[in-house]
Amino acid sequence: MKLIKIMFTFLALTLNTFSIQAQHVSDPELVAEGAKAYSENCARCHNARPAEEYSKKEWSVVIPHMRAKAHMTGKEALAVEAFLASTLTADVRNARDYENRTTTRSGAELVTQFGCQGCHQLKGEGGKLGPSLDNVVINRGETFILNKLMDPKFNNAASAMPKYPMSEEDIKAIIDFLRN
Amino acid sequence: MKKVILQSAVATAISISMLTSATAQESSALDIGRLAIAGYGDVTYIEQSNMKDEEGNDVQNNVVARFVPIFLFQMSEKIHIEAELEFSTNAEGETETELEYANMHYFYNDNTIITAGKFLLPFGQFGANLHPSWINKAASNPGIYGGHGGNGALGGVTGIWNDTGINIANTWNLGDAGRVFTDFYTVSGPRQEEGDHGGGVEIESKKGDNNDSMAFGGRIAYAFLPEWEIGMSYYSGAYSDDGDLDYNAYNIDFNWVGSYASVRGEIFGSTAETEGEEEGEEEGHGEEWVKDFDKRGWYIQGTWQARQLGKAWLNPVEFVVRYSDIESDFDGSVDHDFEEDGGKTGSRVYYGVNYWLEPSAVLKLGAESTSIDNEAASHTTVPDDRIFLQLAFGF
Ligand code: HEC
Ligand code: HEC
Repeated sequence: MKLIKIMFTFLALTLNTFSIQAQHVSDPELVAEGAKAYSENCARCHNARPAEEYSKKEWSVVIPHMRAKAHMTGKEALAVEAFLASTLTADVRNARDYENRTTTRSGAELVTQFGCQGCHQLKGEGGKLGPSLDNVVINRGETFILNKLMDPKFNNAASAMPKYPMSEEDIKAIIDFLRN
Repeated sequence: MKKVILQSAVATAISISMLTSATAQESSALDIGRLAIAGYGDVTYIEQSNMKDEEGNDVQNNVVARFVPIFLFQMSEKIHIEAELEFSTNAEGETETELEYANMHYFYNDNTIITAGKFLLPFGQFGANLHPSWINKAASNPGIYGGHGGNGALGGVTGIWNDTGINIANTWNLGDAGRVFTDFYTVSGPRQEEGDHGGGVEIESKKGDNNDSMAFGGRIAYAFLPEWEIGMSYYSGAYSDDGDLDYNAYNIDFNWVGSYASVRGEIFGSTAETEGEEEGEEEGHGEEWVKDFDKRGWYIQGTWQARQLGKAWLNPVEFVVRYSDIESDFDGSVDHDFEEDGGKTGSRVYYGVNYWLEPSAVLKLGAESTSIDNEAASHTTVPDDRIFLQLAFGF
């Protein structure tokens, strides 16, 4: 009985803090937050599972399961979902969406939009799930990075990095950005 | 009493969700799904000379397999249902089916989750979070936890895995200072073992409770993400049929997860009260006693990914070392219900190499060796060394 009382005290304490913000899921800020929450939480217990393993619909059911496991807040879970969804197209094979690309995006925009810094450090800022990208072009060469972004699993079958729906121009723009 | 608590919790949860669902609906423009099927499975080949099962019979079958589907339902943004079934073949070649968990999460607010039903108890890390075979870095359980199908000559501390009841989980975000996770639960609790060896503690919820007292417990953890988490767990419940004898347990877990390496460990201690009678003089009964029998154990596990060396062919390779140790009060001087534990304390070391085929598919090669402290008190002395080859996958 004592425990029940403690439980209800907890409930009362936490009751007043709740309101989900109506934030659009393609909001780049939410995606960046989600990439960070993903890199901080999703490799704590097991290898991080890359986005393309499930559809958006499946992720929306899996994430609440993981929210409970990971003790994430509702806001963090929503952000992770938004991040995963941002890397997935409607296409089952997650083909790059050439049609939707009306304007060319700069490397800096793409790096922000895809939440690279959720998992990678750039000039000391960012997550640590993946290695720092500071001198990656010099160290690894352009072809390697091109291959990596086309298919993150090409050199590492257990890679957590998402397979992004990007065109080759997008990738070139990112490489140019990373060179500096 | 137990039923009433569960029912009222579920009823409260549902009525609160009706109040809030109207505002929650419009919050997301995601593709919302309703059902997902996930899970894991494994096939393990065990090579061991003179292999015996728990009863001392020769083991017929040294390949065991498991298939563990998980069913996830999203009823609404606030209510989520999950169930996990385990189908396994054991060393005797029989097929076993078990309900690992079946429960409802109610996402009460941004940082509170209420879970009701049968769930994995938040006691330590291994039982709740690390035991699925694609997550467990080794092909066997830490020595302090008896495995499925026995633990060889080494006896585990009575594992605290899953039970039926209600849990409330909270996350307290301290900003730059990290975060605190809390779990508090009340469940139907441990029971007294039946059968020849009878009398010991058994935590098995499928038979229902044997006394009218619930067990309770909790875990408080401090996490400094992404690298650190340290947790303290406690569990207490009456286990005897008359409700007079208690089983108490604690666990301290620590976890460090780096980009290429990880170190985890747990300290696990338990105390079971046991009763008996002094030898009576002539016909009469002797004095009754209740004694505490302690059993303690710990394990530490390190992993390292060879990816750190920057050679492409080493990217999928990971090394694992684990050391486990168990000790207990048993010295054979008094006859008591935990006699079975005699000769079952000692230490065990596991060395393994993992080859990752996917983020959640792995081929594990491992070798395990055990040394028993008090072999003289043991019923059977079987060499407790083995080699594993396991294919494990999560899907
Ligand atoms: C506290 C440990 C823990 C954390 C943190 C965690 N997981 Fe899991 N995850 C598990 C366990 C345990 C399972 C196995 C499912 C089970 O047995 O219930 C699992 C399973 C999964 C699965 C397989 C599908 C399923 O639901 O079983 C996916 C996908 C997954 N996790 C993704 C994630 C993502 C994404 C994150 C970060 C938001 C995450 N996990 C964080 C413990 C964790
Ligand atoms: C979900 C986390 C995550 C995100 C987001 C992510 N990556 Fe990665 N990335 C990783 C991990 C983990 C590795 C290291 C493991 C591997 O080899 O795949 C990696 C490896 C790399 C490498 C190879 C580095 C090396 O030295 O081997 C490059 C280049 C890279 N990522 C670029 C990017 C870029 C550019 C983006 C954004 C478009 C990005 N990543 C987004 C997780 C991520």
